[in-house]
Amino acid sequence: MSDFSPVVVFYILSESLGIWLWIVLALALALLVGITYAALRLRAADRSPARPLVMAAIAGVLTTAIFTFLVPGWSHAEISALNGPVDYVFAILFSMVPAGIVAALVFIIAGLRCASGMARTSKNLVGAIKG
Amino acid sequence: MKRREFLIAGSAAALEGLSVNASQAQTSESRAKIVIAGAGAAGLSLASRLRHGMPNATIVIVDAKKQHHFQPGYTLIGAGLWSPSQVTSNNADYMPRGIEWIQEAVTAFEPETNAVFTTSGTRIDYDFLLVATGLKLDYDAIEGMDTALIGQNGIASVYAGPNEAQASAAAIDRFIETGGIGLFGRPTGEMKCAGAPLKMTFIADDKARRAGRRGAVELIYNAHTGGVFSVPPVNERVTEMFAERNIAVNYTHVLAAIDPGSKRATYRTADGEVTLDYDFIHVIPPMRAPDAVLDSPLPWQDGNLAADGWVEADKATLRHPRYPNVFAVGDIAGVPRGKTAASVKWQAPIVVANLIAETAGRTGSASYNGYTSCPMVTGFGKAMLIEFDYEGNLTPSFPFIDPLKEQWVSWLIEEKGLLGAYRAMLRGYA
Repeated sequence: MSDFSPVVVFYILSESLGIWLWIVLALALALLVGITYAALRLRAADRSPARPLVMAAIAGVLTTAIFTFLVPGWSHAEISALNGPVDYVFAILFSMVPAGIVAALVFIIAGLRCASGMARTSKNLVGAIKG
Repeated sequence: MKRREFLIAGSAAALEGLSVNASQAQTSESRAKIVIAGAGAAGLSLASRLRHGMPNATIVIVDAKKQHHFQPGYTLIGAGLWSPSQVTSNNADYMPRGIEWIQEAVTAFEPETNAVFTTSGTRIDYDFLLVATGLKLDYDAIEGMDTALIGQNGIASVYAGPNEAQASAAAIDRFIETGGIGLFGRPTGEMKCAGAPLKMTFIADDKARRAGRRGAVELIYNAHTGGVFSVPPVNERVTEMFAERNIAVNYTHVLAAIDPGSKRATYRTADGEVTLDYDFIHVIPPMRAPDAVLDSPLPWQDGNLAADGWVEADKATLRHPRYPNVFAVGDIAGVPRGKTAASVKWQAPIVVANLIAETAGRTGSASYNGYTSCPMVTGFGKAMLIEFDYEGNLTPSFPFIDPLKEQWVSWLIEEKGLLGAYRAMLRGYA
């Protein structure tokens, strides 16, 4: 495995995925920006990120479970082709790619809803006190 | 530079700081003229690495072939999973900038005068010659066989090319539908990807089982020696699997002739010629050096590699012992193993590293251990990732993958990973 340096792995991925590598990288960047934005909004609203994190984790685990059964099909194989722990580990690792996307999206949506909900509640509370 | 190449190069440059392949890090300012005969996997890989490592050298690559084929994919076409377009691209796409590509075939080698000649009669002089012509599939050596027959009358052969591999897939399907006797085997002598004959046998078996037709077909593997594979643990494992799957084995059977009309195949055996009836046969031709190499002084002059014209080469450095400025890489190299793309992946960096060292006034110490690899497909979704060296030692690249166990992850490497790794190798990055 010593010849699998980051440069080599990058080139192999680049040749394997073609334009999809850049689409995946762009998507990963966009999700990272979204996660950062949602986390900042939660902080500004003084809300704990625990609830969006739990929701994201649940969504990620469910997506991993579903895709673990679908990944063999992507390689012209059936689920019965998985033979032993190493195969399952790799199927799970590959499933974590779509799972990561889903989990990130859930965190962003839940985080923003949570933050804006708090903002609305605070506004209503201030309005009620003034009124 | 195309936009995509720019993006890739830029990103790789950013990663370069993290890790640099030792052989790529060495460079030579030499202005030597290097001629590469052949633009296949070995020729292109050498050209790319030399362009990086010897920026001032004049590098000439000579090959008439414009299309490039990812040959490890032929068995997947033969399985009916891939299409010919998935393994076909253009050599121009991989030709490094700054390389002169002469689009003619080499017709003669004259190592005494350091020159090669092309189809137009042009003489090309060199300081160093890298012979990477590939090999010749000698279908004519089997009496009655012609590549035009592939796909007809139960004849298959995935080696002949992507279209022939596709015709072979259709022939396998027809055989499974109609039932009967299927013959498999391999030629005597050195051959490229010695695992492919076994893979095609396993694939036919698996397809028949999936179609519920295994009972209607009888599968027979004709081994050219007393074993089915030259590496003992692999031989034992495959023999065991053949027995489990009811695949019969005839030992020391080498295909000599076929009669497509009567569907009979004649084999040379230790006890004389034997003729077998068939409904399907997977033909793998004997392999030898192309005529230009065979007719030159480059091949071994004696020993078991001499008859087929393999270029004489030191098995560790791939340098020609009689012509020290000549190296042989890939299928044409007269070394005990190594007629696979995986071998090229290791051979090319060794030759380039030693050439760079020599032209820079250093002593090259890179050495090739005979590494080769055969992802042995044993059914749809299953393979054994077999890697070994000159001595027949199993040399797994991934410690968590058992080379003698059928695994999906090994299949995944074959089906999804190898093409990208191969293309990266052609560009000199893997």
